[in-house]
Amino acid sequence: MIKPDLSVTIGRLSLRNPVMTASGTGGYGEELAGFFDLSGLGAIVMKGISLAPWQGNPVPRIAETHCGMLNSIGLQNVGLRVFIKEKLPFVRKFDVPVIANILGNTVPEYVKIAKSLDDEGVDGIELNVSCPNVKKGGISFGTDLKTCSVLVRKVRAKLQRAVLIVKLSPAAPDIAEFARQAEAEGADAISLINTVPAMAIDINTRRPLVRNGYGGLSGPAIKPIALRMVHLAARAVRIPVIGMGGISSGEDAVEFLLAGATAVAVGTAIFSNPMAPLEVAAGIARYMEKHGISGISGLTGGLIEDS
Amino acid sequence: MSKSASSASSAAPVKIFRAAVTRTVPLSPGHFLIALKPIGLSGLQHARAGQFFMLGLPSGRICKDPLLKRPFSYLRMGAEIEFLYRVCGKATSLMCSLLPGEEMELIGPLGNSYPAPDYKNAKIPLVVAGGIGIASVFPLVEGLKGKEFHLFFGSRDSGGLLLVEELKALANKNLHLSTEDGSMGEKGTIVELLSRFLAGKDKGAFTVYACGPKAMLAEISALGLEGYISVEEKMACGFGVCLGCAVKTQTGYKRACKEGPVFDIREVVFDR
Repeated sequence: MIKPDLSVTIGRLSLRNPVMTASGTGGYGEELAGFFDLSGLGAIVMKGISLAPWQGNPVPRIAETHCGMLNSIGLQNVGLRVFIKEKLPFVRKFDVPVIANILGNTVPEYVKIAKSLDDEGVDGIELNVSCPNVKKGGISFGTDLKTCSVLVRKVRAKLQRAVLIVKLSPAAPDIAEFARQAEAEGADAISLINTVPAMAIDINTRRPLVRNGYGGLSGPAIKPIALRMVHLAARAVRIPVIGMGGISSGEDAVEFLLAGATAVAVGTAIFSNPMAPLEVAAGIARYMEKHGISGISGLTGGLIEDS
Repeated sequence: MSKSASSASSAAPVKIFRAAVTRTVPLSPGHFLIALKPIGLSGLQHARAGQFFMLGLPSGRICKDPLLKRPFSYLRMGAEIEFLYRVCGKATSLMCSLLPGEEMELIGPLGNSYPAPDYKNAKIPLVVAGGIGIASVFPLVEGLKGKEFHLFFGSRDSGGLLLVEELKALANKNLHLSTEDGSMGEKGTIVELLSRFLAGKDKGAFTVYACGPKAMLAEISALGLEGYISVEEKMACGFGVCLGCAVKTQTGYKRACKEGPVFDIREVVFDR
């Protein structure tokens, strides 16, 4: 059987395989580059960037839960200037598409960052409308259809080159509607899901396990939630869907592809296994060889639904 | 089996690798030493005093609970890597029931290390360990054998004073022990013992190297000594990407796993 072709396209962007890193789990690439050649990734999605540097939340910022973890990092990042000056040049040394993830408190902030990064020639911009950790800004975009639409529209208008990906939140009231709206406003793709708003309590200290109170849940525990939402979103739009949420193996990834995803992102799995993205890609390839599937399009949306 | 994906990684300083348990030694209630032998790995960099490894069960296992690896300071490294640990949660409970031959998965060596003592400028090291913090400073102490230094080691009770015989052989008469319940050594906290030692002495003649509970480190940083502390924060990854292990310093948040765990004593900001 011929070697399966793992390539996919997201808008005008060609990826050698459908596996990318999830924003916030691969840093800016430097640490992962110590474990493997970044050129083996479909794409690298960078830690979310704001205009000015954001400090992040006080610790504890993370807590393990059953088959998952809570994070309340608080979107700590180096800010746009240092990102462009130091972080982008590093990943550029590798032959891998670079997708920047961007955050803001206001639409003008998002637009400013998007335009700067587009000018810098990043391959993609992923709009973070959905982080549940910041107390202002993020949460309202991802759960308010009108604000989300305006945001996507304004950013879309400014981009000349980079593909625009809108990252949806599981907290969105109607994921299909948000997906449709993102597509209508010109997004090249949607990615989902971001972390699930959640909580854990230490009964000895009687305090939440993360200092901020609530955190975003990720890891294998959220895969079933993510799959359903990817399925709902993929049926609502024609643009590619990037699926994520608890993927740690090729088999997990195939579930998302069957549900309608064109590509997947690997996040939390990296924390306990930095090689996870490559292993997921290899696992997809093995499945395709085993089942005689020559291309990813043979998997995307291949779920058999008996009505 | 080494998980390096390319030949470039064989030179990489930090690796992810499987290791088989060779020995688990109960030291006292809730305290163990575990020794692991790396499997099929070449070029594993020798850890430097103060560094740590992330330990967990092998990726690809079916049950993903516990999900994350945990950080442990390395105690000794040769053909095997040895760690001390105190059972304090589900991962450490699981570890003490692993049989010889069972495999774990490790990432490391990670973090920075204790700077070498400045004997040229007559700075005598005062190594201070609180509880399981002894694991972090142990390689430092081994490296100081034969040189002049003091080791202050305190715990809540005698069960927490691990490897006392080995430490006596390394530090001789300069080993100062304390237990809060008085069951071994001086009664009281190790900081109280250290303060008594420093009374009437020139603080500038010493460099402190401390590892232990946050409260202990906070007290030591208020003593007006130069030196280094090794901190601990909850880690998801341990190799710098998750930003969970943030340490507040004079120049913003730093990562305990990357810019630390060893920090200059004047750099860390302690809340409350």
